[in-house]
Amino acid sequence: MRDIRIGPVHFFSLVLMFELGTALVVNVGMEAGRDAWIAIFLGCLVGMLIYTGYNYLFKLYPDLPLSGYARAILGKPLGAVVVTLYAVIFLNGAGRDMRDGSALLVMAALNRTPIMIVAAMMILSCGYVLHKGLEVLARTSFIIMIFVLMIGGVITLLMLFSGEMEWSRILPMLGDGIKPVALSVIRSNYMFPFGEVFCFLMLMPYIGDKKRAVWIVPSAILAAGLIISYTALVNITVLGSDMVERSPFPLLSTVSKAALSDFIQRLDVLVVMLLIIGVFFKVAVYYGAAVIAISDLFNLPYRTLIIPSAIIILFSGMLDSRSFVEHLEEGGEMLTFVYPVFTIVIPAILIIVAAFRNYRSRSRPG
Amino acid sequence: MGRPVLKLWKLLMVSVLLLVVAGCWDSVELNKRAIVSGVSIDKGPSEEKKYRVSFQVVIADEITGKNSRGNAPVALYKGSGRSIYEALGNASRQSARILSLGHAKVIIISEELAREGIRDLMDIFERESEMRLSTLVFVSRGQRAEDILSVMTIFGKIPANDLVQKLETGNRSFGYNFRIEVDDVIRGILAKEAGAIINGVIVKGDPEAGESKANLEGIKPKAILKNAGLAVFKQDKLMAFQDGIEGMGLSLIHNKQSEYPLFLDFGNNESASFSMFKVHTSVKANAKDPEHPDIYINVQQQAALKAYNGALDISKSSVLRNWEKLLSDETRKEIDAAVKVAMRLNSDYIRFNESVERNNPKGYKRVKDRWESIFPHCKVHIRVNTLVRHTEMRTRSLRSSEEME
Repeated sequence: MRDIRIGPVHFFSLVLMFELGTALVVNVGMEAGRDAWIAIFLGCLVGMLIYTGYNYLFKLYPDLPLSGYARAILGKPLGAVVVTLYAVIFLNGAGRDMRDGSALLVMAALNRTPIMIVAAMMILSCGYVLHKGLEVLARTSFIIMIFVLMIGGVITLLMLFSGEMEWSRILPMLGDGIKPVALSVIRSNYMFPFGEVFCFLMLMPYIGDKKRAVWIVPSAILAAGLIISYTALVNITVLGSDMVERSPFPLLSTVSKAALSDFIQRLDVLVVMLLIIGVFFKVAVYYGAAVIAISDLFNLPYRTLIIPSAIIILFSGMLDSRSFVEHLEEGGEMLTFVYPVFTIVIPAILIIVAAFRNYRSRSRPG
Repeated sequence: MGRPVLKLWKLLMVSVLLLVVAGCWDSVELNKRAIVSGVSIDKGPSEEKKYRVSFQVVIADEITGKNSRGNAPVALYKGSGRSIYEALGNASRQSARILSLGHAKVIIISEELAREGIRDLMDIFERESEMRLSTLVFVSRGQRAEDILSVMTIFGKIPANDLVQKLETGNRSFGYNFRIEVDDVIRGILAKEAGAIINGVIVKGDPEAGESKANLEGIKPKAILKNAGLAVFKQDKLMAFQDGIEGMGLSLIHNKQSEYPLFLDFGNNESASFSMFKVHTSVKANAKDPEHPDIYINVQQQAALKAYNGALDISKSSVLRNWEKLLSDETRKEIDAAVKVAMRLNSDYIRFNESVERNNPKGYKRVKDRWESIFPHCKVHIRVNTLVRHTEMRTRSLRSSEEME
């Protein structure tokens, strides 16, 4: 696995597609009401801030994934425990995202299709790509990124020409003050989707160009933040904040409003495609991170782990809750209480310990 | 040794996957579907039959003409139930095909039902993933909603489409009805101390005669669908219909009118008719004191002279200047009438509260809960700016030429 090299552009597109993922289509930051787009942008900045911490670790150990340097920093036994935890959270993340995606798909388009079939198809395609390797995943993301941006352009143009956007719906800006926006950011907005970039702790060593690597991920986060924020803006100007708040899949409703007289309409299918694409990358990255962590920890070959991991992801995702509502409830709690441990607490401990050691080892000879 | 077995295994896997690829779990073939073009909701006679829902179903064979039997191009299925969905179920049982709501163009609610409240009706149209938010909503004025869906129409075979087109054509030139879609209605119901606005529609003529093909056989149709007024709501309850200048004013306030006619009467049997175009309205508030907000309605418009019978020499710009003033007054009157009605009904469907909130969000928060007592006392300033660019293809009128001789 060590000889994998992913080009900077491909890595950028992989991070971007991961970040856009489901966040593009579901409602993000709507606790902030019509200021959701501000909340999202703030969340994106927080995400970039978190990433600077990761960069520190990356600079210390440019050739090791998290699973490697966790053990180097914390020592073998404790490090192994941490890596195991990470492997579990990666698998969980993949499972949750797969459930998110397939539930939305079933809700919006494939009403009678068993959710298990949809999820199985998704995990199969993710497994296939990972079997081909991370470079293939990254290259796929590049091709599909172009496609996604084109869809975004088409939707934007349609929205502008159909005249459904009413800018007054986002006014007054920050009418209730900054407080609800800040609360929404703190509660979950920085974590979903920007904090989730912690997956890339496992993939960073595979960047080909180590020098420019420092800038790739933050710029992708920023790009994703702008795109998601813009999408929220469009949703709110078209539907009004109340309706967006009440809909689990607002972009679909927004696009269903777009029509150029009777000639171009029913573009909902584009949004469903965005959903499928987003879920694919989200699941694939989590899944890949999990497989790399496990193979690194137990010294097992990467490819033999793909099928067992797929089965774990599929069933944990499907069995974690009876309904989508329950799933979202659980997801909210995970985002507030569990994910921060993995995105902030543990990396912070790693940084502190590494910095301390670094300081000691440097000062000792002198 | 084991190679051929492996190959067979692979082949088997691939063919199993092929099965999945070809199948579309949810697919319903077109010939199993009945496309619903319009839905109407009437009040039912009892609690068990709370809603009487009719579905206008397109008969594709009649539309394309090849296999046409020369019958009506649409059919109406009716069902009743305690909810719209239950009614849909009951109606579906009479149909040989699955009623699919994905292409419904119009929803018509009877006035009787609208007066009682429409909040509970709208949920299904928003929630159902098949339906689009861009479906138009109407209120059938004083008639059964199902009558609206059972009129044979002159242009186009599907009556629902006819209604949509009438709305758009009307809005472009003379009418004050404008596109009001499901999400507009929902936003209206949700807005604090405000209400929805929905287009009214009636069958002009004899509704009974409208439903057979005989309606189209003569030159004068016996029944015609017609947009009739704007139904204004307080929250989700219908309060009144606005016609004439109130209706026009309402449409103007919402900046939905791009063109409309005005008539100036100079007395003495002299008059001028204008077509107003490039109309743009903006509503702003000055709410330093949120208890007594000032509302500023600004209208910019241009006028084209369409007919003039008077003796004035309109090659003089001073005459046009004077007309501009008179036209502005007329427009002001229309808007003022609409505002007065809204204040009398005490329903802020003209959305002054949003302007106030935009101007002074903190102040609005304080008065939000008693906006009802503040709204009727808002000071409204209407400023209209009219421009007559030219007098079209003639200068002086016929009458002035006669007098000059």
